[in-house]
Amino acid sequence: MPDLRPILLVEDNPRDLELTLAALAKCQLANDIVIARDGAEALDYIYTRGAYKDRDPGHPAVVLLDLKLPKIDGLQVLETIKSDPAHKHVPVVMLTSSREERDVLSSYENGVNAFVVKPVDFNVFFEAIQDLGMFWAVLNEPPPRGWNDR
Amino acid sequence: MTGLTNAQIDNCAAEPIRIPGGIQPHGAVLVVEPQSLRILQASANATDLLGPGYVAGAVLELDGYVLDWVRLADGSNLLQSFERDGGLFNISGHHMPQGAVLEFEPLDQGEASSIEAMFPRLEAFADAILPLDEIKAVAGAVADQVRTVTRYNRVMIYSFDPDWHGTVVAQSTDGTLPSYLDLRFPESDIPGQARELYRLSPLRIIPDADYMPVPLVPLLSPVDGQPTDLSFTGLRSVSPVHLQYMRNMGTYASMSISIIVDGRLWGLISCHNEKPRRVPLQIRSACNFIAKIFSLQISSLQRGAHAAQRIALKQHETTLLPKLSRADKLPEELSKHAAAWLSLTNAQGAVIVTEDGMRSVGETPSRHAIEALVAFLKSEKQDRFATDQLSAVWPGGSAIADTASGILAISISQLHPSYVIWFRSEVVRTVTWGGDPRKPDDPQERLTPRKSFEQWQEVVRHRSISWTQAEIESAEDFRNALLNFVLLRAEERAEMTEELERSNKELESFSYSVSHDLRAPFRHIVGYAELLTAREQNMDEKSRHYLRSIVDSALSAGRLVDDLLTFSQLGRTNVAKSRIDMNKLVAEVRRSLEPDLEGRNVQWKIADLPPAWGDGALIRQALANLLENAIKYSTGRDPAVIEILGSNDGQQTVYRVRDNGVGFEMAYVHKLFGVFQRLHRAEDFAGTGIGLALTKRIINRHGGEVEALGAVDEGATFTFTLPEGGRDKPNA
Repeated sequence: MPDLRPILLVEDNPRDLELTLAALAKCQLANDIVIARDGAEALDYIYTRGAYKDRDPGHPAVVLLDLKLPKIDGLQVLETIKSDPAHKHVPVVMLTSSREERDVLSSYENGVNAFVVKPVDFNVFFEAIQDLGMFWAVLNEPPPRGWNDR
Repeated sequence: MTGLTNAQIDNCAAEPIRIPGGIQPHGAVLVVEPQSLRILQASANATDLLGPGYVAGAVLELDGYVLDWVRLADGSNLLQSFERDGGLFNISGHHMPQGAVLEFEPLDQGEASSIEAMFPRLEAFADAILPLDEIKAVAGAVADQVRTVTRYNRVMIYSFDPDWHGTVVAQSTDGTLPSYLDLRFPESDIPGQARELYRLSPLRIIPDADYMPVPLVPLLSPVDGQPTDLSFTGLRSVSPVHLQYMRNMGTYASMSISIIVDGRLWGLISCHNEKPRRVPLQIRSACNFIAKIFSLQISSLQRGAHAAQRIALKQHETTLLPKLSRADKLPEELSKHAAAWLSLTNAQGAVIVTEDGMRSVGETPSRHAIEALVAFLKSEKQDRFATDQLSAVWPGGSAIADTASGILAISISQLHPSYVIWFRSEVVRTVTWGGDPRKPDDPQERLTPRKSFEQWQEVVRHRSISWTQAEIESAEDFRNALLNFVLLRAEERAEMTEELERSNKELESFSYSVSHDLRAPFRHIVGYAELLTAREQNMDEKSRHYLRSIVDSALSAGRLVDDLLTFSQLGRTNVAKSRIDMNKLVAEVRRSLEPDLEGRNVQWKIADLPPAWGDGALIRQALANLLENAIKYSTGRDPAVIEILGSNDGQQTVYRVRDNGVGFEMAYVHKLFGVFQRLHRAEDFAGTGIGLALTKRIINRHGGEVEALGAVDEGATFTFTLPEGGRDKPNA
């Protein structure tokens, strides 16, 4: 049965945001999509605080996380999530423009679940996002509901 | 070489001259225990000279001030004259571990008063020698003065060279005894332990070479049961060898006074008389005083000469160093200033040897000989090496003695055998010895003082003028300056490396920004154009074409950014080599290129390929570029034939990719591997123009080579090699 918890999309660039949303829309996922525009907002959502202090409890199905973000950058967000026992099982997919291997390495060191370089070709990008959305939001078996949920 | 044998030296050196057990008969000796004033030992003639109570075991009875001095034992020496039973005596004393040693010498009437007359004379003498600026002239004045006050027949000033051979540099004589002026005497005439004694105790006198020694009673010291140390006892009996030597020379009385300059025995004032002669203690003291003035004068003249030469040599250093400090290549620059370089040490030739080779000026041995010399210097492991007789320290020296009898070498690197060496030519000299130093008179005798003092001439070969202390110091200063330059240069290089590293880092972060920020707009263009295409279903064909062109252009710009980044990344990333299964790799690459093969008839001829040694990801990229090209440029061939071959010759593996495509003109082959170099129009064949440049860079980083062969319409063959390595290493 599909996991209907929301997808958290963390993206500061409005165009990338629009295109990613268009790609996700094509997947016709039932999941809600929550948008955070910087690292701080993303962490507010994860930790149910700030603007999100009254949100419905529970972890997102997947976090699609851009590498370069204002305030708190993607790698820091990743590190915070993965070093916190309460949140480390939340799947995180890094979305980035960069193929620089140091980003890849440090992301994997911090326990990233997948790493996707945004391709220039929109169709490839579309497929990548679609695959990601499908895999993490639908196919991936999450930890049992209530496990570590607050 | 003098060819001296060591037999005589060793024999004489074994003589127990400090502990002869007896004294000369012209005086008496008492050894006294300082606290109890008990006489421990007395010379057998003490009772004759001083009276019946002066025997071992008795308590010393003398004037109070003498007894006080004995008890005090404060290291001071005693010198007094006193009257006893109508006789006049000189008494002198010094303290030793075995007791206070008192020496008594009878004084003739009249001698005591003559000492007063001595001082104005000594003062005048000191004034007279002060303005003399040559050691030889001072020595002459000293010899005259000593002969005047002592009335010996002959007074010689004897000077030691660094090998302890002696030369008579000045002489004053009344003609009774033969002249020894300018003669040289071998080191063995005054052996090492005698020289050490001369250094410690400044004056010796032998009034009569035919004397009968007087023993001490008892013979051994009651304090420690050992023979009594008479090193500082003026009346000490001398070696029978020395007495024989004197008789052989026809002299029956002698006195010698040490000349100590800066702690080293510089020479002797050596006095001789044909007949036995006693010089009273006061006169001896005056001679001692003359010797001291002489020592000071030598020291000041030597220091003055040294300082003057240092200043002169420093001037050459001052001209040379500024030029060297600005020079790119030290050896080249140094050889441009040959005169100053040679003048640094007053040499006739010089060479600088570095890891890059050697440069020489002036008269030097052959390059081959210098190489051998450098190997010798390396084995010596010294920062500075100087000799005026290279053949004596290194067998190879004889062959190059004409140009390199003297060498002065400085090491100028801790890492490499690098040297600056100055050369001095052989100076053949004739030395007149006072007797043939090589001929022992009778090898059968235990000790053989020579009997012959006939002049004997020796030709000295394989020797250069000696290097002065100032010249050696000049070389050392030069060495320090050169080492500073080298250090400075190393620092500059390190700074430059740092600068390069910094700019590399900047470039890296620039590339990073490009990769991140430049790709995004292209991605957006493609994305929005695609969205628009999907949305406007009934767009006319022209609009559709425009949109497709927008997408294609943005896509190719994006690829260009990616390729450029890969290319620049390649310079920075490490090549992680391991064994690569090339058959597998080719199969993988082929699979990845399948989209390009749609609608094409391509015939693959792939041989069994030897494994490669390299970075899997990079080799994959290089191979992909070559296969992509082969597919691209054989478009339109039916069938297109692509061949892949490989071989291994043990040193390297060679791979070849051949196609039957459009080929290229060999005239442009050099442009093929450049970035953005294209040999075909863009509309004919797509591509960013980086692929082959990237391939070449990958192969070169592996230490291999890429090569292209082709002809228009006859296809192209690309060959690349990969060096073998790590055969025994496990796969990484």
